[in-house]
Amino acid sequence: MSRLSPTPPILSLLPALALLPVLISILISFHNGGATLLWEFICAAVHPSIQAEVVQSAFRGIQITFSTALLSWSLSSIFGICLGIASARVVWETFLGKSWPATVIRRLLAIPRSIHELLWGLLLLQMVGLSPWVAIVAIVIPYTSLVARVVSDQLDTKDRRALKGLKQAGAGSSSALITALGPAMGPVLLSYVGYRLECALRGATVLGVFGLGGIGTDLQLALQSLQFHDVWTALWLLAAVMFSLEQILSLIRGYFKLSKNGIWQITTILIVLLILCALSIPWLNAVDIDLGEPLHWSPLPLPTFYELIDAIHTLPWIQLISSTMLLTVLAAGIAIGTPPLAMMLWPSQLGIAIQRIIWGLLRLMPTPLTALFLMLFSKPSLAVAALALGAHNIGVMGRLLKEGLDQQSDNHLKALSAAGAGTRSAWLYGCFSGQSRSYLAYAAYRTDVILRETVVVGMVGGTGLGWQLIESLGSFNWAQVIVLIAVFTALTLIGEAITDRLRYHWTGSTKKLPMVVDLQS
Amino acid sequence: MPSRPDRALVLTALICFFGLQSCTNQTKQTLRIGAIPDQNPERLNRLYGLLSTELSKELNVPVRYKAVTNYPAAVSAFRTDSLDLVWFGGLTGVQARLQKPGAEVIAQRDIDAKFTSVFIANTKSGIKPLKNKSELQQLNGKRFTFGSESSTSGRLMPQHFLQQAGVQMNDFSGGKPGFSGSHDATIALVQSGSFDAGALNESVWKSARKNGRIDPAKVKVIWRTPPYADYHWLAQPNLDKKFGDGFTEKLKYTLTGLKKSSKSQAKILELFGASSFVDADQNQYITIETIGRQLGKIQ
Repeated sequence: MSRLSPTPPILSLLPALALLPVLISILISFHNGGATLLWEFICAAVHPSIQAEVVQSAFRGIQITFSTALLSWSLSSIFGICLGIASARVVWETFLGKSWPATVIRRLLAIPRSIHELLWGLLLLQMVGLSPWVAIVAIVIPYTSLVARVVSDQLDTKDRRALKGLKQAGAGSSSALITALGPAMGPVLLSYVGYRLECALRGATVLGVFGLGGIGTDLQLALQSLQFHDVWTALWLLAAVMFSLEQILSLIRGYFKLSKNGIWQITTILIVLLILCALSIPWLNAVDIDLGEPLHWSPLPLPTFYELIDAIHTLPWIQLISSTMLLTVLAAGIAIGTPPLAMMLWPSQLGIAIQRIIWGLLRLMPTPLTALFLMLFSKPSLAVAALALGAHNIGVMGRLLKEGLDQQSDNHLKALSAAGAGTRSAWLYGCFSGQSRSYLAYAAYRTDVILRETVVVGMVGGTGLGWQLIESLGSFNWAQVIVLIAVFTALTLIGEAITDRLRYHWTGSTKKLPMVVDLQS
Repeated sequence: MPSRPDRALVLTALICFFGLQSCTNQTKQTLRIGAIPDQNPERLNRLYGLLSTELSKELNVPVRYKAVTNYPAAVSAFRTDSLDLVWFGGLTGVQARLQKPGAEVIAQRDIDAKFTSVFIANTKSGIKPLKNKSELQQLNGKRFTFGSESSTSGRLMPQHFLQQAGVQMNDFSGGKPGFSGSHDATIALVQSGSFDAGALNESVWKSARKNGRIDPAKVKVIWRTPPYADYHWLAQPNLDKKFGDGFTEKLKYTLTGLKKSSKSQAKILELFGASSFVDADQNQYITIETIGRQLGKIQ
């Protein structure tokens, strides 16, 4: 007799249970004063401030954020592609006949990736002071490593028969590699690198919220002084930019799909990256961000061994780590379970259209701002932090699910409906079941991202490693900062190892990245 | 004739070259001033815009205001030499001075030697005005918010007085206090009822009341703290080397010389909420340093 186990479609819905404790605890602490503020905020959406000063400042802010994103994205993509090639086993095997150098580089690259761009930003700020390079480098470091990982994963999972054939026929190593693997890499690079630009824009906005300039700073300051009309001016502007970017990128993807010449695609991508990189510098200069300003390098005072031991003893590790884990699990549950649940409950055309708009708004709002906003009518708590973090990721998961579903045929759905199944179960088993395995695999990966992102909302919940890190940075306790970063890195590396296993479990034995790669973050 | 890829390559190279070129502009020796972000940004921009113009006129050097959006970032900017002259709070000033030996306290406002915070409460919260410090006990079990985490008047001193009265941070509703982020936000959140009570800088409270941003039916002062020394101007130790001998003295002289009789200077003083700037000394901040160490904000 076979063992009973939940099917993947049900397994994707179960995490939505995390919504229950979170919403209950937020509703309990909801109060009247908050209702007034919430209403004011909603009303302000249709009356954004059009005062010249506010609009000018927001317009300058969005330019800073966008050009920062552009510069850091192009740099990280170029470095990432190079490092990705350098960390691919197939490359080393072709040239040297052994693959261990690739493994070493891969392991080393896991470290910059495990630390969130915000932490890089705050650390760099301590070391080089106020410089526009802080935000740029903070994004470049983890993004380079992310791009490198995808590039090397893709190279290593490609079919090697053509490569072997070429080598045996006497072709040189590099020309064999380019001819055999190059063409297939074109579309992958195009869609993934394009997607990274959207991520860079969101990343640059979040850095702004923490005081590194741009539209994020405007949003943060306006929300903090409760100027909701000003908040909406900046939000609408950001929405316009993000929406046009998403549209333009998907147009480009569609256009390039028609072309079969992978090598030409790669060359085009590289040229476009170089040009955009070069153009973003004068653009930043034009909005009065001086990249030529000398850096004031002042390394952090290194703590002594005794201070490090002391830091290890004084911090409440069990509480810090367990609340970080709880925050991750709750936020991931909300992010994974909500989109399929909402689609199942409301699968009509209108329902899907409304959900798309809501997911778009959730993606748009930087997580720390959602958290600050929720705190206007609720007490600071872990639940608020989890909801804010979950909400942003619902936006990402929802979009991914929608795109995945759009690509598959609706034969099963039609068949089930024709056989008399109810709309909801027909959707669940006819439509969603085709995507559920890859959805779960992607969800495992997303959980990883959420663990890293806990640092962004830590301050709100007043709990977890993220909160403690920012508090220690605020009291300039370097020993604690170093120990905390080490623990956080270790935690994310363990998390990555676990979710990698889960991913392989759901996508079968292939080591290929799940689903459309262009939605990796 | 060059082929298409060749031309593309040349074009790319040219664009890259011009991009890099524009990045290497020469910068002049500018006095960079900053401030902790303790009030709403529009006000800060206006205030420091006027002050920069005035200082530039008096000192004959270009002056630039660089906005910083959180307290620790202001301290780091000072430590890393990104700012020459910063308007710090008591705690942040001590933190910055400890990290930058030789930094000089050059002036404070007339009100800063004897500065106070106020505790405010929402009128519906049922909290009554206090007769003495020990009645802060009323705040047990209430939703309470400080301002910014590193603020002297919005967190450090209020927390100090609360602890003297026997109120611990986990006695508040929810097991911990909130941090609104700024004095203005504290007023707004207590007035809206999001929090029952909060503590903030009295000078910000007074100016908010003058500007009609406070609804006395919704929020009231329940207690004023005893006085302590707060805000001050802190200058880098290397200003004389950078701008010429005697520059720090001249700077001190210019700041303390701002007068209400001049129209532009009167506006600056009004925005600072002061009648004048006066000499200040680092010894005034020994108490703040001790309390900062007790509360773990200074290591």
